[in-house]
Amino acid sequence: MKPKRYLANIIGILLFFVLFLPSNALAVQVHGPPEGFVVHIMGHIFFTSALIFLIYILHKYPLDNSPAWKYFKVSIFFWLIWNLDTFMVHILSVRLPREAIVTGSHLIHSKLKGPFDLERLMFYFGKFDHLLCVPATYCLAMSLKDFCKRVEKELNTAGSGTSLV
Amino acid sequence: MIESLPLFPVYVVDFIGALLMVIFSLIGFFYARRLTIFQPKSVLWTYMFWFSMALVALAVSRGVGHTVRFVLLYMGEREVWKNIAPFSGGLNTITFTSVAVLTFYYSNVRSVIDRVKHDAEALYEANIRLQKAQEALRRLNQNLEQMVEERTKELRQSEKKFRGLFEGSKDMIFFCNKNHGVEDINPSGVELLGFKSREEVLGRSFKDFFKDEQQWEMFRDEICRKGHIKDIEAELLRTDGSTRNVILTISVMKEENGNIRGCEGIGKDITKMKQVTESLIQSEKMASVGQLAAGVAHEINTPLGIILGYAQLLEEDFEDDPDALESLKIIEKQTKICKRIVGDLLKFSRSSSDSEVADVDINECIKEVLAITEHSLNMDRIYVNKNLSKDIPPIKGKKEKLRQVIINLLNNAHHAIENEGIIGIWTEYDRKTNEIRVIIGDTGAGIPSEIQNKIFDPFFTTKGVGKGTGLGLSVSFGIIKDHGGYIEAQSPPKEKRFIDAGMETVMIIHLPVNKNDNQNG
Repeated sequence: MKPKRYLANIIGILLFFVLFLPSNALAVQVHGPPEGFVVHIMGHIFFTSALIFLIYILHKYPLDNSPAWKYFKVSIFFWLIWNLDTFMVHILSVRLPREAIVTGSHLIHSKLKGPFDLERLMFYFGKFDHLLCVPATYCLAMSLKDFCKRVEKELNTAGSGTSLV
Repeated sequence: MIESLPLFPVYVVDFIGALLMVIFSLIGFFYARRLTIFQPKSVLWTYMFWFSMALVALAVSRGVGHTVRFVLLYMGEREVWKNIAPFSGGLNTITFTSVAVLTFYYSNVRSVIDRVKHDAEALYEANIRLQKAQEALRRLNQNLEQMVEERTKELRQSEKKFRGLFEGSKDMIFFCNKNHGVEDINPSGVELLGFKSREEVLGRSFKDFFKDEQQWEMFRDEICRKGHIKDIEAELLRTDGSTRNVILTISVMKEENGNIRGCEGIGKDITKMKQVTESLIQSEKMASVGQLAAGVAHEINTPLGIILGYAQLLEEDFEDDPDALESLKIIEKQTKICKRIVGDLLKFSRSSSDSEVADVDINECIKEVLAITEHSLNMDRIYVNKNLSKDIPPIKGKKEKLRQVIINLLNNAHHAIENEGIIGIWTEYDRKTNEIRVIIGDTGAGIPSEIQNKIFDPFFTTKGVGKGTGLGLSVSFGIIKDHGGYIEAQSPPKEKRFIDAGMETVMIIHLPVNKNDNQNG
């Protein structure tokens, strides 16, 4: 018997068992509830590290001192603080006992119960994260607006759009 | 002690903040989009576009999420919110993960872009430099052609100028290589050396043109030592054997590395000037000697006359005494010799006017002299070769005196030949100078160069004691001078025809022809 034919027979037998004698599929792993939270936390860490890296790059290779870049730096700074804040709130929310938050019948009646130690106070004030991410978004928008103005001005004077900024 | 804190402010801030975030992120997205439209190749704007787009997604996700939560919780639908919340959180996770990826990606791309940009800038600068160099090269090329044309024109003019000077100069100009071979010579030089064409001279050693080889060697050494010689007189040989006196100025030519390449020089022919100068000196000398001789002759002539008179008177008184008479005869004879010498001296000095001036036919004069002297010449096997021109015009002169000059010259030729030889006689008329030339040559021993400037001096003779007084040529010189001419002695002759005729010495009498007389005749 030739080796090629021998190999084909083995593959044929294996295919027969696989197709006609199936068992439970174990390839797709089912992820439990904490995984979403962990992924979200890891996403925050990843975003934080990216922002730190961006701050490092901007510090190492300083750009000009125009308002656009200033806005951009402030935006990055607020995003970084926001990240840390949300990270902290996520962690604290896990540690917070279920009965600490009283939802009540109406939204207005929702409360955070005491006793208010540092952790619980940090959780409460950390929940105001929009006070950080709104200025961050605003500064980014302003930065882009200034960049846009600058580019428009440059194009009007130079008449070229091939900059490799 | 506070027992609880309301969460409502948190929800309100979340709701308003979410709305503001959506608005600001949309504004940011709008400008980022504009930037990518303005400068689509910009990496920064691309990054900003995607960054803001992710943030819009985040803002919308959070904004919508928080708004919905606020509404659902407000409505008391907490369970519904619990079902939606994971999607909102997941979307948030995706958005800021995307922003993080973009940031890392951008920084890497940016470093690559920076390198590319740096290289592009370097390339651009190199290109600019290349363009400038090309432009400079193009301009240089254009200018070069123009410059070459101008320089060629200048060079041609310069060449023409110097070629004109070289070809047209009446002085000899020559160039030699380091082996003294002639590299180039102008037409005057060719003529001076007696050649027919330049090609005959080229390649010959300049040394060969020197009559005295030692003189050349002396010049050569001085040129090598000092680098030049200036205004040095030299005697150059012509192809016909005659010589030319030349004033030479020679300088060495050097290559860029300092090695001697050859020499260049100018030679001025001073032969005629030298002859004229010598003739002038001779004339001055003759004039002063003549004055002296005239004074001496005049003073001696009177006492000699008295001595001769008294000697003759005494002869009459001593006719009977043979011894005394014989002594007196001797005194008379010697006194007469003295008188004759004194007479010759006077003739030399002032050419006594005892014969009349008349038209003289030189050819006739020569024939008359030969009629008397040829016989005695033939006795010594000396033959006369006559070449008498037929178109000789008559001149105003004293025939007897001229005849005496010819006799003197024939006697000298006879003496020079002694036995067996040829005497050549030529007569010719030069219309340019309007003069008659009588040339009497001989095949004798020639006149040594060291005595050539003395032969016209009174009492200078090469004959033995008692054979000549040394006044023949002096007297002849005086006679010809009285006729407005001069005598020239050449030994050896300068003209080839005389050399070909075997002449060793030629005496050339130059006699001017009076124009009026010639026209009348």
